[in-house]
Amino acid sequence: MPRRRRTRLVLIFLLPELALILSFVLVPIIGTFIISFKTSHGYGVGNYYSVITERSPDRALVIPENIIKAQPPPWGALVHNIIWVAIHVPVVVFLGLTLAYLLRDVVGSSIVKSIMFLGMVIPMVVGGLLIRFMFDSDLGVIPVFLRELGIKSLAHTWTNYPQTALIALILGSVWLWTGFSLTVYAAALESLPKSYIEAARVDGASDFQIFFKVVFPLVKHATIIVVVMTMLWDLKIFDIVFVSTRGGPGGATNVMALVMYNYFARALDYGKSAATAVILALISLIPGIWFIRRVVRPSAEKR
Amino acid sequence: MARVFLENIVKRFGKVVAVDHINLEVHDKEFLVLLGPSGCGKTTTLRIIAGLEFPDEGRVYIDDKDVTDLEPKDRDVAMVFQNYALYPHLTVRDNIAFPLMIRRKQLGLTREEIYRRVLDVAKLLRIEELLDRKPGQLSGGQQQRVALARALIRRPKVWLMDEPLSNLDALLRLQMRAELKRLQREIGITTIYVTHDQAEAMSMADRIAVMNHGRIVQVGTPDDIYFRPRHVFVATFIGAPPMNIIRCITVLKNDKLYLSCPGMEREIPRGITKYLRGDMEILLGIRPEFVDVYKEPKPGAIRAKILVVEPQGSELILNLNISPESGEETIIKVKTRALRRYSPGEIVYLEPDWTRVSLFDAKTGKAIA
Ligand SMILES: Nc1ncnc2c1ncn2[C@@H]1O[C@H](COP(=O)(O)OP(=O)(O)OP(=O)(O)O)[C@@H](O)[C@H]1O
Ligand SMILES: [Mg+2]
Repeated sequence: MPRRRRTRLVLIFLLPELALILSFVLVPIIGTFIISFKTSHGYGVGNYYSVITERSPDRALVIPENIIKAQPPPWGALVHNIIWVAIHVPVVVFLGLTLAYLLRDVVGSSIVKSIMFLGMVIPMVVGGLLIRFMFDSDLGVIPVFLRELGIKSLAHTWTNYPQTALIALILGSVWLWTGFSLTVYAAALESLPKSYIEAARVDGASDFQIFFKVVFPLVKHATIIVVVMTMLWDLKIFDIVFVSTRGGPGGATNVMALVMYNYFARALDYGKSAATAVILALISLIPGIWFIRRVVRPSAEKR
Repeated sequence: MARVFLENIVKRFGKVVAVDHINLEVHDKEFLVLLGPSGCGKTTTLRIIAGLEFPDEGRVYIDDKDVTDLEPKDRDVAMVFQNYALYPHLTVRDNIAFPLMIRRKQLGLTREEIYRRVLDVAKLLRIEELLDRKPGQLSGGQQQRVALARALIRRPKVWLMDEPLSNLDALLRLQMRAELKRLQREIGITTIYVTHDQAEAMSMADRIAVMNHGRIVQVGTPDDIYFRPRHVFVATFIGAPPMNIIRCITVLKNDKLYLSCPGMEREIPRGITKYLRGDMEILLGIRPEFVDVYKEPKPGAIRAKILVVEPQGSELILNLNISPESGEETIIKVKTRALRRYSPGEIVYLEPDWTRVSLFDAKTGKAIA
């Protein structure tokens, strides 16, 4: 087909999608962007300034004022998101890959994988409730277990105490999200020719060396996918926090998306809500762009 | 220093019997070739020796030690995989260095020493300019030599090689055969080498084990295999073109046994008549190389009509019908030096070297005597 006609044909087919994207994605984004700069006295960066410097516990992004004096951790929502990423991503990568690797040739492993994947299937709202139950002092597996072990100080309802609430949610999100990581890694290992591992076994590599020198480098693509998707999920996390703690106690589990919601639905301050949204979007762009450059673009070029 | 001994090995994949009661002894420092058609179980046998496959029955011994239950890494063997199995994330240099790098501490080698050895092996296999590339940037033949290098850099008890030269061009393959054979002689590492190329087997092997349908049909020196095939399968698998097989019957006349074949009848030499009776179906095997061709009639010679002439440079292959009188065709191939011109339709006279023919039982396929 001549180049010109082909281009025109492609445009014709793309037109409906472009129109939809324009009206339902691009326009709201631009709208949010504009609103975020709108203050009571004209346009400016005032919203951004006050959002970042805000110190009330349920809205602070960086450092809240300490209402309850001895309350650790003295951090805001943005910091919580970063902690979340810092713990969640490596744990999920490690668990997903080791489980997928160990379950590779095991009979009945598909059942285990299905159970793990359940965390992905149930609605996150339910997931949030389950996390609350899991860490409940009377019902929860973990406090009961710790009590049996004699660790009394941690045998309370984790989500009620600022010291343990955030870590409870992060651990809960590990449980909800490992199924994803496991599935991606299982697929990657499936497509890995057996002979790589066999060659390493004959060459005298230990199981440890095979895992770190052969398997891990060969599933790099899957690792990139898991890392980026997990980061994005952690940055925009909302539902499980909203259901289980609403950011409490005392802002100890506040996250960016919840702050945005609080400005929007509780304070009815659309300008600051939009500013929070823009900040969240900009932060999410970092892993997003990296992902596109590493994974999406190279494979498009290969064709 | 290693002897490999396979005792009654059986390996099944579902209904397929990939390896069927194999007994094989490989001597210390020997170069043994496993030769057989595609799917006969060569790779499976090699993988059982390497420990990548667990036999359903039988035991594997290396140096009189039962290694059947040992992990590959505890057997001290190196293997060249049929599909190369090069690590795609490592450069050629690091691929070749891999087996030494992972045991660097135990071997007491420095990185520099290892890379120097990599360079030596790479030079031997003529891949030294490729060391900085990744396997994905190499041709099939280059990848194959990297895979070979990764095995040759080690000094294990046994080298296992699964068609390590199959993807090279004809000239390079000839050179590599010689290099590999020389290296193996020099270092004296017991080697089990898989191929389906009989010329390769003939030129490299100390002994050849011919396999078919998961069984070892014959083990012997290249001479044994070529001149004294123990089974009609070996006779027809070896040689280019392979041995002619003519279906004959034995006839008892005046207390003498005769072999009655299409286009000829011959008395059977006394030496082997004790294995035979009258009215037995026999396969007569004649190598194309061991037949003289005459243009004039000769007493005792077989009259044959030329069907096709295939020039092969200094030699010719004639396709001949040795029973032109009877209605049916009995076709044999004869290799002769291209000194004279032959044309299709011409009648010629053939005199096989009767001391070098083989007789097989038509029912069992086994050699007689
Ligand atoms: N993992 C497996 N699962 C099922 N069948 C198998 C497996 N590996 C080998 N086989 C079967 O076992 C038989 C022997 O296979 P093998 O790979 O040993 O043959 P080979 O002699 O190496 O052939 P080639 O010259 O084509 O490499 C074949 O029929 C093959 O289909
Ligand atoms: Mg094979």
